[in-house]
Amino acid sequence: MLRNVFLKSLRDLRRGFVWWSVGLAGMSAMMVSVYPSVRDNAALNKLVQDYPDALKGFFGFGGELDYTSAAGYLGVELFSLVVPLLLLIAAIATGSGAIAGEEDRDTLDLLLSLPVSRTRLVLEKLGALVAEVLGLGFVVWLSLWIGALAVGMEIGAAKLAAATVDAVALAVAYGAIALLAGCVTGKRGLAIGITAAAAVAAYLVNSLAPLVGALDAVKQLSPFYHYAIQNPLRAGLDPFHVLVLLAIAATAAAASVLAFRRRDLG
Amino acid sequence: MTVVVRADRLTKFYGPSRGIVDASFEVEAGEVFGFLGPNGAGKSTTIRLMLDLIRPTRGQIELFGLDPRANGLEIRRRVGYVPGDLRLYERLTALDLLRYFAHVRGMRDLGAAPRLVERLELELDRPIRSLSKGNRQKVGLVQALMHEPELLVLDEPTSGLDPLVQQTFEELLRQATGEGRTVFLSSHMLAEVQRVADRVALVRAGRIELVEEVETLRRRAFTRVQVSFAEPPPEDAFSAVQGVRELERRGGSVLFMLEGSADPLVKALAQHHVLSLDVHEADLEDIFLSRYRSESPHAA
Repeated sequence: MLRNVFLKSLRDLRRGFVWWSVGLAGMSAMMVSVYPSVRDNAALNKLVQDYPDALKGFFGFGGELDYTSAAGYLGVELFSLVVPLLLLIAAIATGSGAIAGEEDRDTLDLLLSLPVSRTRLVLEKLGALVAEVLGLGFVVWLSLWIGALAVGMEIGAAKLAAATVDAVALAVAYGAIALLAGCVTGKRGLAIGITAAAAVAAYLVNSLAPLVGALDAVKQLSPFYHYAIQNPLRAGLDPFHVLVLLAIAATAAAASVLAFRRRDLG
Repeated sequence: MTVVVRADRLTKFYGPSRGIVDASFEVEAGEVFGFLGPNGAGKSTTIRLMLDLIRPTRGQIELFGLDPRANGLEIRRRVGYVPGDLRLYERLTALDLLRYFAHVRGMRDLGAAPRLVERLELELDRPIRSLSKGNRQKVGLVQALMHEPELLVLDEPTSGLDPLVQQTFEELLRQATGEGRTVFLSSHMLAEVQRVADRVALVRAGRIELVEEVETLRRRAFTRVQVSFAEPPPEDAFSAVQGVRELERRGGSVLFMLEGSADPLVKALAQHHVLSLDVHEADLEDIFLSRYRSESPHAA
Protein backbone atom coordinates (compact mmCIF):
# COMPACT_ATOMS: atom_id res chain seq x y z
CA MET A 1 0.00 0.00 0.00
CA LEU A 2 3.04 2.27 -0.07
CA ARG A 3 3.99 1.88 -3.70
CA ASN A 4 2.86 5.35 -4.73
CA VAL A 5 0.98 8.42 -3.61
CA PHE A 6 -2.36 7.01 -4.79
CA LEU A 7 -2.08 3.82 -2.75
CA LYS A 8 -0.60 5.62 0.25
CA SER A 9 -3.56 8.01 0.15
CA LEU A 10 -6.00 5.10 0.02
CA ARG A 11 -4.19 3.56 2.96
CA ASP A 12 -4.63 6.79 4.89
CA LEU A 13 -8.36 6.68 4.14
CA ARG A 14 -8.96 3.09 5.13
CA ARG A 15 -9.86 3.67 8.78
CA GLY A 16 -12.36 6.40 7.91
CA PHE A 17 -13.68 4.22 5.11
CA VAL A 18 -14.54 1.42 7.51
CA TRP A 19 -16.53 3.73 9.78
CA TRP A 20 -18.30 5.42 6.88
CA SER A 21 -19.19 2.00 5.49
CA VAL A 22 -20.60 0.81 8.78
CA GLY A 23 -22.67 3.97 9.11
CA LEU A 24 -23.95 4.00 5.54
CA ALA A 25 -24.76 0.29 5.54
CA GLY A 26 -26.51 0.51 8.90
CA MET A 27 -28.56 3.50 7.83
CA SER A 28 -29.52 1.93 4.51
CA ALA A 29 -30.50 -1.34 6.17
CA MET A 30 -32.58 0.46 8.78
CA MET A 31 -34.44 2.56 6.20
CA VAL A 32 -35.20 -0.46 4.08
CA SER A 33 -36.31 -2.54 7.06
CA VAL A 34 -39.05 -0.10 8.06
CA TYR A 35 -40.32 0.22 4.48
CA PRO A 36 -43.03 -2.47 4.74
CA SER A 37 -44.69 -0.82 7.73
CA VAL A 38 -44.55 2.64 6.12
CA ARG A 39 -45.98 1.31 2.84
CA ASP A 40 -48.91 -0.26 4.68
CA ASN A 41 -49.63 2.77 6.84
CA ALA A 42 -52.61 4.33 5.09
CA ALA A 43 -52.85 7.27 7.48
CA LEU A 44 -49.29 8.34 6.82
CA ASN A 45 -49.75 8.12 3.10
CA LYS A 46 -52.89 10.19 3.29
CA LEU A 47 -51.00 12.80 5.28
CA VAL A 48 -48.18 12.92 2.72
CA GLN A 49 -50.61 13.29 -0.16
CA ASP A 50 -52.04 16.36 1.58
CA TYR A 51 -48.62 18.06 1.82
CA PRO A 52 -48.39 21.34 -0.08
CA ASP A 53 -46.86 20.90 -3.52
CA ALA A 54 -43.86 22.98 -2.55
CA LEU A 55 -43.01 20.60 0.22
CA LYS A 56 -43.51 17.62 -2.05
CA GLY A 57 -41.09 19.16 -4.53
CA PHE A 58 -38.63 19.80 -1.75
CA PHE A 59 -38.52 16.22 -0.59
CA GLY A 60 -39.33 14.36 -3.76
CA PHE A 61 -36.39 12.96 -5.66
CA GLY A 62 -37.06 13.68 -9.27
CA GLY A 63 -40.56 12.29 -9.07
CA GLU A 64 -43.75 12.22 -7.09
CA LEU A 65 -43.58 12.26 -3.34
CA ASP A 66 -44.93 8.94 -2.27
CA TYR A 67 -44.22 6.38 0.37
CA THR A 68 -46.10 3.52 -1.17
CA SER A 69 -43.67 2.54 -3.90
CA ALA A 70 -40.13 1.37 -3.30
CA ALA A 71 -38.74 4.04 -5.64
CA GLY A 72 -40.79 6.76 -3.98
CA TYR A 73 -39.86 5.68 -0.50
CA LEU A 74 -36.12 5.39 -1.19
CA GLY A 75 -36.20 8.71 -3.02
CA VAL A 76 -37.72 10.57 -0.10
CA GLU A 77 -35.97 8.83 2.73
CA LEU A 78 -32.51 8.31 1.29
CA PHE A 79 -31.67 9.84 -2.06
CA SER A 80 -33.33 13.24 -1.74
CA LEU A 81 -30.98 14.24 1.04
CA VAL A 82 -29.37 11.71 3.35
CA VAL A 83 -27.28 9.62 0.96
CA PRO A 84 -25.93 12.52 -1.10
CA LEU A 85 -25.32 14.51 2.07
CA LEU A 86 -23.28 11.76 3.69
CA LEU A 87 -21.33 11.01 0.52
CA LEU A 88 -20.71 14.73 0.13
CA ILE A 89 -19.36 15.03 3.64
CA ALA A 90 -17.02 12.10 3.07
CA ALA A 91 -15.89 13.46 -0.30
CA ILE A 92 -15.38 17.01 0.98
CA ALA A 93 -13.41 15.72 3.96
CA THR A 94 -11.12 13.78 1.66
CA GLY A 95 -10.90 16.38 -1.10
CA SER A 96 -10.09 19.24 1.25
CA GLY A 97 -7.41 17.21 2.99
CA ALA A 98 -5.81 15.79 -0.13
CA ILE A 99 -3.34 18.62 -0.66
CA ALA A 100 -4.19 21.17 2.04
CA GLY A 101 -4.13 18.47 4.73
CA GLU A 102 -0.51 17.62 3.91
CA GLU A 103 0.25 21.30 3.73
CA ASP A 104 -1.37 21.98 7.11
CA ARG A 105 0.58 19.15 8.69
CA ASP A 106 3.79 20.30 6.98
CA THR A 107 4.40 16.95 5.31
CA LEU A 108 4.03 18.44 1.83
CA ASP A 109 7.55 19.94 1.69
CA LEU A 110 9.18 16.59 2.16
CA LEU A 111 6.81 14.80 -0.23
CA LEU A 112 7.49 17.37 -2.94
CA SER A 113 11.22 17.11 -2.39
CA LEU A 114 10.87 13.68 -3.98
CA PRO A 115 10.77 13.38 -7.75
CA VAL A 116 7.00 13.65 -8.03
CA SER A 117 5.40 16.48 -9.97
CA ARG A 118 2.70 18.65 -8.50
CA THR A 119 0.37 17.62 -11.30
CA ARG A 120 0.88 13.97 -10.59
CA LEU A 121 0.43 14.53 -6.86
CA VAL A 122 -2.96 16.20 -7.39
CA LEU A 123 -4.10 13.52 -9.83
CA GLU A 124 -3.09 10.64 -7.58
CA LYS A 125 -4.83 12.27 -4.64
CA LEU A 126 -7.90 12.79 -6.82
CA GLY A 127 -7.72 9.13 -7.80
CA ALA A 128 -7.85 8.13 -4.15
CA LEU A 129 -10.82 10.43 -3.60
CA VAL A 130 -12.74 8.91 -6.52
CA ALA A 131 -11.90 5.40 -5.36
CA GLU A 132 -13.11 6.17 -1.85
CA VAL A 133 -16.44 7.65 -2.98
CA LEU A 134 -16.97 4.79 -5.45
CA GLY A 135 -16.30 2.34 -2.65
CA LEU A 136 -18.79 4.05 -0.35
CA GLY A 137 -21.32 4.11 -3.18
CA PHE A 138 -20.81 0.40 -3.62
CA VAL A 139 -21.49 -0.14 0.08
CA VAL A 140 -24.73 1.88 -0.17
CA TRP A 141 -25.84 0.00 -3.26
CA LEU A 142 -24.99 -3.40 -1.82
CA SER A 143 -26.77 -2.83 1.48
CA LEU A 144 -29.85 -1.43 -0.28
CA TRP A 145 -29.96 -4.30 -2.72
CA ILE A 146 -29.60 -6.94 -0.01
CA GLY A 147 -32.15 -5.09 2.13
CA ALA A 148 -34.59 -4.81 -0.77
CA LEU A 149 -34.33 -8.53 -1.43
CA ALA A 150 -34.83 -9.25 2.26
CA VAL A 151 -38.02 -7.23 2.69
CA GLY A 152 -39.34 -7.88 -0.79
CA MET A 153 -39.01 -4.33 -2.10
CA GLU A 154 -40.04 -4.00 -5.69
CA ILE A 155 -36.95 -2.37 -7.08
CA GLY A 156 -34.13 -3.85 -9.12
CA ALA A 157 -30.40 -3.77 -8.63
CA ALA A 158 -29.97 -1.62 -11.75
CA LYS A 159 -32.26 1.18 -10.56
CA LEU A 160 -30.55 1.16 -7.17
CA ALA A 161 -27.22 1.34 -8.93
CA ALA A 162 -28.43 4.24 -11.08
CA ALA A 163 -29.43 6.28 -8.02
CA THR A 164 -26.15 5.43 -6.28
CA VAL A 165 -24.03 6.35 -9.29
CA ASP A 166 -25.95 9.63 -9.47
CA ALA A 167 -25.08 10.37 -5.83
CA VAL A 168 -21.47 9.27 -6.35
CA ALA A 169 -21.13 11.63 -9.31
CA LEU A 170 -22.47 14.49 -7.21
CA ALA A 171 -20.12 13.66 -4.35
CA VAL A 172 -17.10 13.37 -6.64
CA ALA A 173 -17.94 16.79 -8.07
CA TYR A 174 -17.97 18.31 -4.58
CA GLY A 175 -14.89 16.36 -3.57
CA ALA A 176 -13.08 17.87 -6.56
CA ILE A 177 -14.34 21.33 -5.62
CA ALA A 178 -12.98 20.79 -2.09
CA LEU A 179 -9.69 19.64 -3.63
CA LEU A 180 -9.62 22.85 -5.65
CA ALA A 181 -10.34 24.98 -2.60
CA GLY A 182 -7.50 23.21 -0.78
CA CYS A 183 -5.11 23.65 -3.72
CA VAL A 184 -5.90 27.35 -3.91
CA THR A 185 -5.85 28.20 -0.20
CA GLY A 186 -3.54 25.56 1.23
CA LYS A 187 -5.75 25.52 4.31
CA ARG A 188 -7.94 22.52 4.94
CA GLY A 189 -10.40 24.13 7.33
CA LEU A 190 -10.96 27.00 4.95
CA ALA A 191 -11.40 24.60 2.04
CA ILE A 192 -14.07 22.68 3.97
CA GLY A 193 -15.86 25.92 4.85
CA ILE A 194 -15.85 27.25 1.31
CA THR A 195 -17.04 23.99 -0.22
CA ALA A 196 -19.70 23.36 2.40
CA ALA A 197 -21.06 26.89 1.97
CA ALA A 198 -21.12 26.45 -1.80
CA ALA A 199 -22.91 23.13 -1.44
CA VAL A 200 -25.58 24.49 0.90
CA ALA A 201 -26.16 27.45 -1.41
CA ALA A 202 -26.45 25.20 -4.45
CA TYR A 203 -28.80 22.87 -2.61
CA LEU A 204 -31.08 25.73 -1.59
CA VAL A 205 -31.07 27.21 -5.09
CA ASN A 206 -32.32 23.95 -6.50
CA SER A 207 -34.77 23.21 -3.69
CA LEU A 208 -36.31 26.67 -3.64
CA ALA A 209 -36.32 27.12 -7.39
CA PRO A 210 -39.94 25.95 -7.75
CA LEU A 211 -41.00 28.63 -5.25
CA VAL A 212 -38.77 31.54 -6.25
CA GLY A 213 -38.84 32.68 -9.86
CA ALA A 214 -35.40 34.26 -9.77
CA LEU A 215 -33.83 31.01 -8.62
CA ASP A 216 -35.65 29.03 -11.26
CA ALA A 217 -33.62 30.84 -13.90
CA VAL A 218 -30.29 29.84 -12.36
CA LYS A 219 -31.11 26.40 -11.02
CA GLN A 220 -29.18 24.74 -13.84
CA LEU A 221 -26.01 26.11 -12.28
CA SER A 222 -26.66 24.01 -9.22
CA PRO A 223 -25.08 20.54 -9.22
CA PHE A 224 -28.03 19.44 -7.09
CA TYR A 225 -30.38 20.25 -9.95
CA HIS A 226 -28.51 17.85 -12.22
CA TYR A 227 -28.44 15.31 -9.44
CA ALA A 228 -32.14 15.44 -8.55
CA ILE A 229 -33.72 16.01 -11.94
CA GLN A 230 -32.88 12.55 -13.18
CA ASN A 231 -35.35 10.38 -11.27
CA PRO A 232 -32.94 7.42 -11.52
CA LEU A 233 -34.91 5.16 -9.16
CA ARG A 234 -37.76 5.06 -11.68
CA ALA A 235 -36.17 5.94 -15.02
CA GLY A 236 -32.48 5.11 -14.62
CA LEU A 237 -29.64 7.53 -15.28
CA ASP A 238 -29.92 10.44 -17.64
CA PRO A 239 -26.49 10.51 -19.33
CA PHE A 240 -26.61 14.26 -19.94
CA HIS A 241 -27.00 15.20 -16.30
CA VAL A 242 -24.46 12.65 -15.15
CA LEU A 243 -22.02 14.10 -17.65
CA VAL A 244 -22.69 17.58 -16.32
CA LEU A 245 -21.75 16.40 -12.83
CA LEU A 246 -18.63 14.67 -14.12
CA ALA A 247 -17.72 17.75 -16.15
CA ILE A 248 -17.93 19.84 -12.99
CA ALA A 249 -15.58 17.35 -11.30
CA ALA A 250 -13.17 17.37 -14.23
CA THR A 251 -13.14 21.16 -14.41
CA ALA A 252 -12.48 21.47 -10.69
CA ALA A 253 -9.71 18.87 -10.96
CA ALA A 254 -8.05 20.68 -13.86
CA ALA A 255 -8.31 23.98 -12.00
CA SER A 256 -6.78 22.26 -8.94
CA VAL A 257 -3.74 21.24 -10.95
CA LEU A 258 -3.32 24.72 -12.42
CA ALA A 259 -3.73 26.45 -9.07
CA PHE A 260 -1.40 24.08 -7.26
CA ARG A 261 1.32 24.31 -9.90
CA ARG A 262 1.39 28.08 -9.70
CA ARG A 263 1.38 28.58 -6.00
CA ASP A 264 4.05 29.10 -3.35
CA LEU A 265 3.60 26.39 -0.77
CA GLY A 266 3.10 27.46 2.82
CA MET B 1 35.37 23.27 -10.15
CA THR B 2 31.86 22.28 -11.08
CA VAL B 3 29.22 24.56 -9.66
CA VAL B 4 26.33 22.61 -8.16
CA VAL B 5 24.22 25.48 -6.87
CA ARG B 6 24.30 28.97 -8.29
CA ALA B 7 22.17 31.82 -6.96
CA ASP B 8 22.17 35.08 -8.81
CA ARG B 9 20.55 38.05 -7.11
CA LEU B 10 17.97 35.60 -5.83
CA THR B 11 15.10 37.45 -4.18
CA LYS B 12 11.92 36.33 -2.52
CA PHE B 13 9.65 38.73 -0.71
CA TYR B 14 7.18 37.34 1.75
CA GLY B 15 5.92 40.23 3.73
CA PRO B 16 7.85 42.98 5.35
CA SER B 17 10.42 40.94 7.24
CA ARG B 18 10.68 37.42 5.85
CA GLY B 19 12.45 36.34 2.72
CA ILE B 20 15.77 36.77 1.00
CA VAL B 21 17.13 39.70 -1.00
CA ASP B 22 19.68 39.68 -3.81
CA ALA B 23 21.40 36.53 -2.66
CA SER B 24 24.29 35.54 -4.91
CA PHE B 25 26.52 32.57 -4.16
CA GLU B 26 27.94 29.46 -5.71
CA VAL B 27 28.30 26.04 -4.16
CA GLU B 28 31.01 23.88 -5.64
CA ALA B 29 30.93 20.13 -6.12
CA GLY B 30 32.27 18.15 -3.19
CA GLU B 31 32.20 20.91 -0.61
CA VAL B 32 30.17 21.42 2.52
CA PHE B 33 28.67 24.84 2.15
CA GLY B 34 27.46 26.30 5.43
CA PHE B 35 24.51 28.65 5.30
CA LEU B 36 24.80 30.37 8.63
CA GLY B 37 22.41 32.82 10.18
CA PRO B 38 19.98 33.42 13.01
CA ASN B 39 16.45 32.07 12.82
CA GLY B 40 14.32 34.07 10.42
CA ALA B 41 17.32 35.24 8.38
CA GLY B 42 16.00 33.72 5.15
CA LYS B 43 17.83 30.39 5.21
CA SER B 44 14.75 28.19 4.80
CA THR B 45 13.38 30.55 2.18
CA THR B 46 16.51 30.08 0.09
CA ILE B 47 16.35 26.31 0.47
CA ARG B 48 12.68 26.17 -0.45
CA LEU B 49 13.47 28.19 -3.57
CA MET B 50 16.07 25.57 -4.49
CA LEU B 51 13.44 22.82 -4.32
CA ASP B 52 10.77 24.75 -6.22
CA LEU B 53 8.47 24.75 -3.21
CA ILE B 54 8.30 28.52 -3.66
CA ARG B 55 9.24 30.68 -6.63
CA PRO B 56 11.60 33.65 -6.70
CA THR B 57 10.25 37.19 -6.84
CA ARG B 58 13.23 37.94 -9.06
CA GLY B 59 16.71 36.69 -9.65
CA GLN B 60 17.71 33.13 -10.36
CA ILE B 61 18.69 29.90 -8.73
CA GLU B 62 20.13 26.91 -10.54
CA LEU B 63 20.95 23.41 -9.36
CA PHE B 64 23.21 21.35 -11.59
CA GLY B 65 22.76 24.17 -14.08
CA LEU B 66 19.02 23.48 -14.19
CA ASP B 67 16.06 25.67 -13.31
CA PRO B 68 14.04 24.23 -10.40
CA ARG B 69 10.76 25.25 -11.99
CA ALA B 70 11.38 23.73 -15.40
CA ASN B 71 13.45 20.72 -14.34
CA GLY B 72 12.10 20.02 -10.89
CA LEU B 73 11.89 16.26 -11.27
CA GLU B 74 15.40 15.90 -12.63
CA ILE B 75 16.76 18.08 -9.83
CA ARG B 76 14.84 16.37 -7.05
CA ARG B 77 15.99 12.97 -8.24
CA ARG B 78 19.54 14.12 -7.53
CA VAL B 79 18.86 15.91 -4.24
CA GLY B 80 18.23 14.72 -0.70
CA TYR B 81 16.48 17.13 1.63
CA VAL B 82 15.86 17.46 5.34
CA PRO B 83 13.38 20.27 6.03
CA GLY B 84 13.94 22.66 8.90
CA ASP B 85 10.55 21.90 10.33
CA LEU B 86 10.64 18.17 9.75
CA ARG B 87 7.21 16.55 9.85
CA LEU B 88 6.77 12.93 8.96
CA TYR B 89 3.74 10.70 8.52
CA GLU B 90 2.95 10.00 12.15
CA ARG B 91 1.06 6.78 11.59
CA LEU B 92 3.70 5.09 9.49
CA THR B 93 6.59 3.24 11.02
CA ALA B 94 10.03 4.52 10.12
CA LEU B 95 10.48 1.51 7.85
CA ASP B 96 7.17 2.14 6.05
CA LEU B 97 8.09 5.76 5.51
CA LEU B 98 11.45 4.81 4.02
CA ARG B 99 9.73 2.21 1.81
CA TYR B 100 7.19 4.77 0.65
CA PHE B 101 9.81 7.35 -0.22
CA ALA B 102 11.98 4.74 -1.93
CA HIS B 103 9.01 3.72 -4.10
CA VAL B 104 8.16 7.31 -4.99
CA ARG B 105 11.82 7.83 -5.84
CA GLY B 106 11.61 4.81 -8.13
CA MET B 107 14.25 2.87 -6.20
CA ARG B 108 14.26 -0.91 -6.43
CA ASP B 109 15.25 -1.33 -2.81
CA LEU B 110 16.02 0.83 0.20
CA GLY B 111 19.39 1.81 -1.21
CA ALA B 112 21.81 3.00 1.42
CA ALA B 113 19.10 3.10 4.09
CA PRO B 114 19.92 -0.17 5.91
CA ARG B 115 23.54 0.88 6.33
CA LEU B 116 22.52 4.35 7.56
CA VAL B 117 19.92 2.93 9.93
CA GLU B 118 22.53 0.71 11.51
CA ARG B 119 25.01 3.55 11.74
CA LEU B 120 22.50 5.86 13.40
CA GLU B 121 21.01 3.10 15.55
CA LEU B 122 17.52 3.91 14.41
CA GLU B 123 14.57 1.73 15.41
CA LEU B 124 12.57 1.00 12.29
CA ASP B 125 9.50 -0.84 13.51
CA ARG B 126 8.00 1.81 15.74
CA PRO B 127 5.39 4.28 14.54
CA ILE B 128 6.88 7.68 13.94
CA ARG B 129 4.47 9.29 16.41
CA SER B 130 6.20 7.40 19.22
CA LEU B 131 9.69 8.55 18.23
CA SER B 132 11.64 11.28 19.99
CA LYS B 133 12.67 14.45 18.18
CA GLY B 134 16.15 13.08 17.76
CA ASN B 135 14.92 9.81 16.28
CA ARG B 136 12.62 11.61 13.87
CA GLN B 137 15.57 13.67 12.79
CA LYS B 138 17.44 10.44 12.12
CA VAL B 139 14.59 9.23 9.91
CA GLY B 140 14.84 12.55 8.09
CA LEU B 141 18.54 12.08 7.53
CA VAL B 142 18.17 8.49 6.33
CA GLN B 143 15.50 9.38 3.78
CA ALA B 144 17.66 12.24 2.52
CA LEU B 145 20.73 10.05 2.12
CA MET B 146 19.31 6.69 1.07
CA HIS B 147 19.33 7.34 -2.67
CA GLU B 148 22.91 8.59 -2.44
CA PRO B 149 22.11 12.00 -3.90
CA GLU B 150 24.64 14.28 -5.55
CA LEU B 151 23.49 17.18 -3.41
CA LEU B 152 22.32 17.10 0.17
CA VAL B 153 20.22 20.03 1.30
CA LEU B 154 19.98 20.08 5.07
CA ASP B 155 18.00 22.72 6.91
CA GLU B 156 19.05 22.74 10.56
CA PRO B 157 19.52 18.97 10.44
CA THR B 158 21.04 18.45 13.87
CA SER B 159 18.35 20.02 16.01
CA GLY B 160 17.28 17.42 18.53
CA LEU B 161 20.26 15.15 17.96
CA ASP B 162 22.29 14.28 21.00
CA PRO B 163 26.03 15.03 20.80
CA LEU B 164 27.02 11.44 20.04
CA VAL B 165 24.62 11.18 17.14
CA GLN B 166 25.70 14.60 16.00
CA GLN B 167 29.20 13.24 15.78
CA THR B 168 27.99 10.33 13.66
CA PHE B 169 26.12 12.80 11.51
CA GLU B 170 29.24 14.83 10.95
CA GLU B 171 31.08 11.66 9.97
CA LEU B 172 28.34 10.89 7.48
CA LEU B 173 28.76 14.33 5.96
CA ARG B 174 32.50 13.89 5.67
CA GLN B 175 31.96 10.53 4.06
CA ALA B 176 29.45 12.03 1.65
CA THR B 177 31.83 14.73 0.52
CA GLY B 178 34.59 12.13 0.35
CA GLU B 179 32.42 10.34 -2.22
CA GLY B 180 32.13 13.56 -4.19
CA ARG B 181 28.71 14.62 -2.91
CA THR B 182 27.95 18.22 -2.14
CA VAL B 183 26.32 19.43 1.06
CA PHE B 184 24.32 22.58 1.58
CA LEU B 185 23.96 22.91 5.32
CA SER B 186 21.90 25.59 6.96
CA SER B 187 22.44 26.21 10.63
CA HIS B 188 22.24 28.86 13.27
CA MET B 189 25.10 27.29 15.19
CA LEU B 190 28.52 28.60 14.35
CA ALA B 191 30.30 25.76 16.10
CA GLU B 192 28.53 23.18 13.97
CA VAL B 193 29.28 24.96 10.72
CA GLN B 194 32.88 25.51 11.75
CA ARG B 195 33.33 21.80 12.37
CA VAL B 196 31.93 20.54 9.09
CA ALA B 197 31.83 23.29 6.48
CA ASP B 198 34.49 24.27 3.99
CA ARG B 199 32.95 27.59 3.16
CA VAL B 200 30.21 29.55 4.80
CA ALA B 201 27.72 32.20 3.81
CA LEU B 202 26.61 34.50 6.60
CA VAL B 203 22.96 35.41 6.27
CA ARG B 204 21.22 38.06 8.26
CA ALA B 205 17.87 39.76 7.81
CA GLY B 206 17.43 38.34 4.32
CA ARG B 207 20.85 39.35 3.04
CA ILE B 208 24.05 37.44 2.52
CA GLU B 209 26.62 39.40 4.48
CA LEU B 210 29.62 37.52 3.22
CA VAL B 211 30.80 34.24 1.77
CA GLU B 212 34.07 33.08 3.18
CA GLU B 213 36.32 30.11 3.77
CA VAL B 214 35.64 28.82 7.26
CA GLU B 215 39.35 29.02 8.04
CA THR B 216 39.46 32.71 7.22
CA LEU B 217 36.39 33.34 9.28
CA ARG B 218 37.80 31.49 12.21
CA ARG B 219 40.95 33.58 12.10
CA ARG B 220 38.90 36.71 12.05
CA ALA B 221 36.54 35.68 14.82
CA PHE B 222 37.28 36.76 18.32
CA THR B 223 36.91 35.16 21.68
CA ARG B 224 35.50 36.59 24.88
CA VAL B 225 37.68 36.23 27.90
CA GLN B 226 36.31 36.94 31.33
CA VAL B 227 38.98 37.49 33.98
CA SER B 228 38.56 37.99 37.73
CA PHE B 229 41.45 39.80 39.36
CA ALA B 230 42.32 39.85 43.04
CA GLU B 231 42.65 43.62 42.72
CA PRO B 232 41.21 45.74 39.94
CA PRO B 233 44.04 46.35 37.47
CA PRO B 234 44.82 49.93 36.35
CA GLU B 235 42.49 51.34 33.70
CA ASP B 236 45.08 51.27 30.94
CA ALA B 237 46.80 48.04 31.97
CA PHE B 238 45.74 46.18 28.80
CA SER B 239 45.20 48.99 26.34
CA ALA B 240 48.45 48.24 24.53
CA VAL B 241 48.06 44.48 24.34
CA GLN B 242 47.83 43.26 20.76
CA GLY B 243 44.45 41.89 19.62
CA VAL B 244 42.76 42.70 22.91
CA ARG B 245 40.03 45.14 23.74
CA GLU B 246 38.30 45.73 27.04
CA LEU B 247 34.57 45.38 26.69
CA GLU B 248 33.35 45.72 30.23
CA ARG B 249 34.72 46.21 33.72
CA ARG B 250 32.92 45.52 36.95
CA GLY B 251 35.09 45.84 40.04
CA GLY B 252 37.82 43.24 39.74
CA SER B 253 36.14 41.47 36.84
CA VAL B 254 37.05 42.41 33.28
CA LEU B 255 35.61 41.12 30.02
CA PHE B 256 38.06 41.13 27.11
CA MET B 257 37.53 40.66 23.45
CA LEU B 258 40.37 38.68 21.95
CA GLU B 259 41.19 38.48 18.30
CA GLY B 260 43.84 36.16 16.92
CA SER B 261 46.45 34.62 19.16
CA ALA B 262 45.83 34.40 22.92
CA ASP B 263 49.51 34.74 23.70
CA PRO B 264 49.80 38.52 24.20
CA LEU B 265 46.85 38.52 26.58
CA VAL B 266 48.15 35.58 28.58
CA LYS B 267 51.51 37.24 28.95
CA ALA B 268 49.90 40.48 30.04
CA LEU B 269 47.63 38.71 32.53
CA ALA B 270 50.64 37.05 34.08
CA GLN B 271 51.63 40.40 35.55
CA HIS B 272 48.52 40.31 37.75
CA HIS B 273 46.97 38.10 40.37
CA VAL B 274 44.26 36.25 38.45
CA LEU B 275 41.51 34.51 40.44
CA SER B 276 39.62 32.93 37.57
CA LEU B 277 39.58 32.82 33.81
CA ASP B 278 36.62 32.03 31.54
CA VAL B 279 37.01 31.69 27.79
CA HIS B 280 33.92 31.79 25.54
CA GLU B 281 34.22 30.69 21.96
CA ALA B 282 32.97 33.27 19.51
CA ASP B 283 29.35 32.85 18.62
CA LEU B 284 27.45 33.89 15.58
CA GLU B 285 26.68 37.35 16.89
CA ASP B 286 30.37 37.93 17.57
CA ILE B 287 31.20 37.04 13.98
CA PHE B 288 28.73 39.59 12.73
CA LEU B 289 30.14 42.13 15.16
CA SER B 290 33.67 41.52 13.97
CA ARG B 291 32.48 41.78 10.41
CA TYR B 292 30.96 45.18 11.00
CA ARG B 293 33.88 46.33 13.08
CA SER B 294 36.31 45.48 10.33
CA GLU B 295 34.22 47.45 7.86
CA SER B 296 33.61 50.56 9.93
CA PRO B 297 35.60 51.26 13.07
CA HIS B 298 32.79 53.20 14.71
CA ALA B 299 30.16 50.53 14.43
CA ALA B 300 29.45 47.79 16.96
